[in-house]
Amino acid sequence: MEELAEGEARGFDPLDEGQDSVFVVRRGGDLVAYRDICPHYGSTALPWRKDAYLDAGGKDIICSAHGARFAIDTGLCTAGPCLGESLIPVPLQLSDEGEVLADLNSNNSVGVVK
Amino acid sequence: MNIIGPDFLVFGVDDMESCRQYLTDYGLKAAGDDRFLALDGTGVIIKPKDDPSLPAALETPTMLRKTVYGVADQATLEAIATELSSDREVKRLADGSIESVDDMGFALGFQVTVRTTLSLPAEIVNAPGSSHQRAVNDIGVQKVAAPEPRSLSHIVYFVPDFARAEAFYAERLGFITTDRFTGVGPFMRPAGTTDHHTVFFIQTPPHMLGCEHFTFHMAGPTEVMHAGRNMVEKGYQSFWGPGRHLFGSNWFWYFKSPLGCNMEYDADMDLHDDQWTAREGAPGADNSQAFLFKYTEKWSPMGPPPGAKPQ
Repeated sequence: MEELAEGEARGFDPLDEGQDSVFVVRRGGDLVAYRDICPHYGSTALPWRKDAYLDAGGKDIICSAHGARFAIDTGLCTAGPCLGESLIPVPLQLSDEGEVLADLNSNNSVGVVK
Repeated sequence: MNIIGPDFLVFGVDDMESCRQYLTDYGLKAAGDDRFLALDGTGVIIKPKDDPSLPAALETPTMLRKTVYGVADQATLEAIATELSSDREVKRLADGSIESVDDMGFALGFQVTVRTTLSLPAEIVNAPGSSHQRAVNDIGVQKVAAPEPRSLSHIVYFVPDFARAEAFYAERLGFITTDRFTGVGPFMRPAGTTDHHTVFFIQTPPHMLGCEHFTFHMAGPTEVMHAGRNMVEKGYQSFWGPGRHLFGSNWFWYFKSPLGCNMEYDADMDLHDDQWTAREGAPGADNSQAFLFKYTEKWSPMGPPPGAKPQ
């Protein structure tokens, strides 16, 4: 968890698919995670290059295909093609060893690790 | 209206440094003042999104701020100014160009074109029976190459009313519809080019108004593949392709970009004149492309040396 700096995002490939399928954002000390799929087409990953999930100010999550903007804390699309739709949250847990664990089989609400 | 095609696309961006790197890696040449040019002098201009010289931003997230068309001569420029002045403001800018808006709200510029006439061979293929082949002992492909985009090809807009957009470009600016997807929108070319399209409109809800992608012409399919592979190797993410479209026949490979839209390589687009009759097709994957591939890392069927264990 300490590897990710405040205001940064990082993609992960937990199923070894050759492309990141989950990304984690750290903001305000919290971590949130979403599937790396834009709701616009349902099959497009968001970033234009690895880990480029946020705008330059670190304010919103963006999809680089068509510029959709998403709130970091809720995943709700606030502007762009998929306005009103949401990213799929991935619940997170913090292990005793300080590792962040993502629950890939759940579609429950956003997991936040303090 | 002797409009030739887009000379420049002007973007107001969030992250100048990333855009500079991206456009350079794409193959455009930095020419000062954050202009990034193809071989014929057409290209992309980026400015910070709050730069006061930019036309006003749309309410949607699109970073495209202006499409600048190149026209054949001053007489054409004046004809466009006269035509558009009948119902909207036409500004005259210090560089001699004019600026107005289309019926969708996109800012348009018009200037006597800056594009130079290229004299470069296309990709030439060898095929039995063809009289037009590469010279004997000319090599077709290199292991490493950095293909250079030749010319700004086309731009695709998301619009809330494609019929109104088509009417504006046809009736006010003399564009010709070459093909169309039913209920989606037309491919159009201005009168000064034979390219299948320099613009395509896609019908969307109003909150999507913006640029879907834009494209530069390459020498041929090999350059599309090579340039796209270079982008993947540099860490950029493919959006669609490589493949070959049906309407226009252009080879394609699209990449996501920090400009808020996709950026494509294309090659070998069909050419049409006024004898062409526009086709119409149902939208969808089957009519969008003849075939579609997906990139994978280099691989070889050689296998291990004889007698060695498979890896």
